[in-house]
Amino acid sequence: MLIFSVFKTLTDQRVTVELKNDLSITGTLKSVDQFLNIRLDGIKVLDEQRYPHMMAVKNCFIRGSVVRYVQLPAEHVDTQLLEDATRREAANQTKR
Amino acid sequence: MSFFSFESNDLEKEKQRYLTGEVKEEGLTEYTWGDNSYDGLGDVLQERGDELNDETFGGIGDVGKDFDFTRQVLPGDVPLELRQTPALQHTNGLSHERSLSPPQKHAYLSQSSSSLQSIWDNKSPFSVLPKMAASTSRVADHHARPVTTPDLLSQSQSTHSTFSPFADSIPLRHSPALSQESSLPLAGSQMEGRTLQEIEAEMRASAMRSREAPQLRQQQLLQAQARTPPPRLHPHAQSPRFHQLQQHILIQQQQQQQQQQQQLQDLQEQLRVEELERQLRAQQISQLQQQQQQMLLRRQSPSGPTLAEIQAAQHLAQLQQEQRRRQHSPALDQRYHMPQPLQESAQFLPQNIQMQQRLLAELAQAEFMRDYGTPQTQEEQEALRAEAVRKIMEAERMEEKRRRKASKIAHMSRYNDLMTQSDKDFITRIQVSQLVTQDPYLEDWYCQTLSRLRRARQGLQPEEQRVLTFDSGVGVGLGMPGQRPSGRKLSAVQRMEAQVERIVNNARQREREKGLQSLNSLQGALGKTAGRSYKAAPRQLLQVDSTKPAANGGHTEDEFKARLGEHAAKEAAKLRRGVFGEAYDEEHNFVKQDPLTRLEVLVIIEHLYDLVLEADIFVERHGLLDDVEGLDERKEHRAKLINSMYEGLKIKLPIETSNPHPFISLLGPVKGKRLLSRIVPYLEGEHLLTLLTLFVTCFPQLDVVTRAPILDSMEDTPEKREIERQTTAFQEFVMSMSMVPVFHKVELRVLAGLLSFLHERGELVTIARTKPGLDLLCLFLSRADSLIHAYDTGPEARPPPTVDSLTTWRVMFDGMFDTLTPHILDLFPSERILRAQTGGTAQIPPEQLDTTAWQFLASVGAMASLSQQQTLVTALREKVLDLVIGVKKGWVADPEERNMKMKNVNIFLHALQLDSSQITV
Repeated sequence: MLIFSVFKTLTDQRVTVELKNDLSITGTLKSVDQFLNIRLDGIKVLDEQRYPHMMAVKNCFIRGSVVRYVQLPAEHVDTQLLEDATRREAANQTKR
Repeated sequence: MSFFSFESNDLEKEKQRYLTGEVKEEGLTEYTWGDNSYDGLGDVLQERGDELNDETFGGIGDVGKDFDFTRQVLPGDVPLELRQTPALQHTNGLSHERSLSPPQKHAYLSQSSSSLQSIWDNKSPFSVLPKMAASTSRVADHHARPVTTPDLLSQSQSTHSTFSPFADSIPLRHSPALSQESSLPLAGSQMEGRTLQEIEAEMRASAMRSREAPQLRQQQLLQAQARTPPPRLHPHAQSPRFHQLQQHILIQQQQQQQQQQQQLQDLQEQLRVEELERQLRAQQISQLQQQQQQMLLRRQSPSGPTLAEIQAAQHLAQLQQEQRRRQHSPALDQRYHMPQPLQESAQFLPQNIQMQQRLLAELAQAEFMRDYGTPQTQEEQEALRAEAVRKIMEAERMEEKRRRKASKIAHMSRYNDLMTQSDKDFITRIQVSQLVTQDPYLEDWYCQTLSRLRRARQGLQPEEQRVLTFDSGVGVGLGMPGQRPSGRKLSAVQRMEAQVERIVNNARQREREKGLQSLNSLQGALGKTAGRSYKAAPRQLLQVDSTKPAANGGHTEDEFKARLGEHAAKEAAKLRRGVFGEAYDEEHNFVKQDPLTRLEVLVIIEHLYDLVLEADIFVERHGLLDDVEGLDERKEHRAKLINSMYEGLKIKLPIETSNPHPFISLLGPVKGKRLLSRIVPYLEGEHLLTLLTLFVTCFPQLDVVTRAPILDSMEDTPEKREIERQTTAFQEFVMSMSMVPVFHKVELRVLAGLLSFLHERGELVTIARTKPGLDLLCLFLSRADSLIHAYDTGPEARPPPTVDSLTTWRVMFDGMFDTLTPHILDLFPSERILRAQTGGTAQIPPEQLDTTAWQFLASVGAMASLSQQQTLVTALREKVLDLVIGVKKGWVADPEERNMKMKNVNIFLHALQLDSSQITV
């Protein structure tokens, strides 16, 4: 649940979600649940020329399974802590 | 039968009684016109005001358009019977038709189709008489007046003896059944015949109802109207005033009709306007123009109708024609249809009320303009008009918007409350149950730690762990405490918390109740946590075989040891070969190893990190516990952990093990540098000393030292950037965070020893020409300084350094000073860069690079003897003057650069109790 924990710290920050269909949506992260479904507000699509139908969309709910990447705002992530957290997670998983 | 069931029995009974001759004169008034006993009162009746009857009842051939009550019913909607009526009426003769009073007329219609009548009226007491009259009239027409009295018929016609509801009692003997089946006078068959007819009527009625429900409603309405006129208003009973009244009504109807037509026209026009507006919206540019054109058109319209108006008129005419064709009936008949068009138009009135209002406002304005606006010029009028129209349209748009929003909300509100609160609670419970873990804090570690760090950074009180924990140790992490959720979110969180709390409380209660069985009491309290899918919910999609530690970074202690063992075995094999002279390079002796490869370094670092984390958690969990129980165990565990770390750092390996030394190799990557700063706090005493010794001894092997010359260039290459990055990391994590604390624990004797070690190896100059080296020397000097002057006033204040150690340090310092003096300008990166640069494109390196050098020289100057200071000043005189003059003469453009130069010079000069202001240019 590391990623879930990380996302919890990123609420109300701008993130960019890259979907598996190559759509990249930037928006304010409102909430994440345990399936890593993502709710974004004030969204903007990266390539508006290609996806004009997305211009009218102001907020969205993204099913976790369609997400390819999430670009996190570097200034809001404690990289060292995240490294430690991943180490912990890995240690926990090998323990199990 | 009647609507009121209690009457029906009476009626039937009475009828039968009458038919059987039982009842004859029982107080029932019997009207027998034409009989001998006929008193001729009918003839006495004064018939006045009949001159309008024709007009009123539509007897005069072609009725004008005025009477068209614009029934907007499609031909199919009109019941067959209704449409047939004109023909029937014609067959019956005009005079007959003319003389029929409304109810009779209606009854006549119903006679032509008894089923239609029976739909609503057969069972009504009111309907009985008209039907009778109608049937009799029919009989009179078609059967050459055989049975019933033709006089009666004629009388009833001539005297307008229409029948008010109060005449109920009269026609009992003329029940419809009787009159229709007058050839069957048998009393016994009355009931049966009646029933048959009734059944038939009902069947037809139901068929009709299903087919023509709207029509039915409408006709019911008509019927009700036919019924409702109070009997007093009947022409028969009324004075001529009634006819005037009727006439008046007629006029009113005409007016209404005209109004309706007007309304229709208005609607048409509105449609047209709307259409225009749509176009306008599409073409915003030509909006005003078109609007003006439209205005012009409208202004001209009084004289000549616009095309649309003509169209509208044509359409209306068509409609009227159709209606005329359909209901070629007297005005009276139409009167009963009157409400319908009104209704219809009323149906779409609400939608257009707003439009109408706008139009009216517009018209009023236009009128106003026409009346009073004459002195104004055309342009002004146009402008005013356009402005008004613009405003109106704007308001309309806003209204439209609001309406659309409202309708949308209304549309969406269909789904309101689809889920009950318990449904929502259930889902919350599912979600919570999926988030419940065995170790909520650890699972949510990143979030918890980060929020704690942030709070600490903001200077806030560290909050308690935002974790909901339950009795059996499971719990839920609650996310960031820093940010207060607001609004709906807050309530949601509160609800969840309340719910979880409730769940927990319930579980506790259950636990108490169960007593000893409490072990698993919470199991299932949040739903089935051990169920099928929830653990797999964020499924690990990347399934890499975990037996390859290098691939996924999995490195357990065992694996690590195994790998080390392998390494040791290899070394042992090497040694054996060396010992037995088995074709192996002799110079490799027992301790020599190949330097660690990058991969090995990374693996070791990760292993060390695991140890550090373990130690961290250990301290977190047990650091605050002071209870004696298990104290030794904990201490032991901690010592074991620390020892593992120490071992892992490879500090114990001899210095000659490899070049670079494994420990130095571990400091290669940035995360290795970071690692040191995290391990050092755990190390103590002997370990630290060993670490420091190794660090200083092997200092020249450090990557940041060996590759430092690359920095002495103005070119910007990726390599240089990488080294800069490493140097910064080294400075931060190794020097400030690790070595400073370590240096704080060493004594002057040790410092002297370490310095001599560097000196002896002849690496002082090499080190001094790098930034990390200068930093290290600075550390030496500052520590020595504080020791000599006994600044160290910490809790563990040591006794002042012995004279012996002071002497040793002095010797070492002098040695260092003598070694460095010839290369003193080489300490400045700027000098090195300038010297390396050849050709005309010399760039002046930024002063910032020299800061470390100046600081070092200041430290040296502070510690130096007078003669040494003299030497220093002599060596640096030119450089200092250069800078000061450069600044004071204003040759340095950048103010920041100027400040930096002055600051650097002053750092040095202040150490010698001098200042740059003393220098006169």
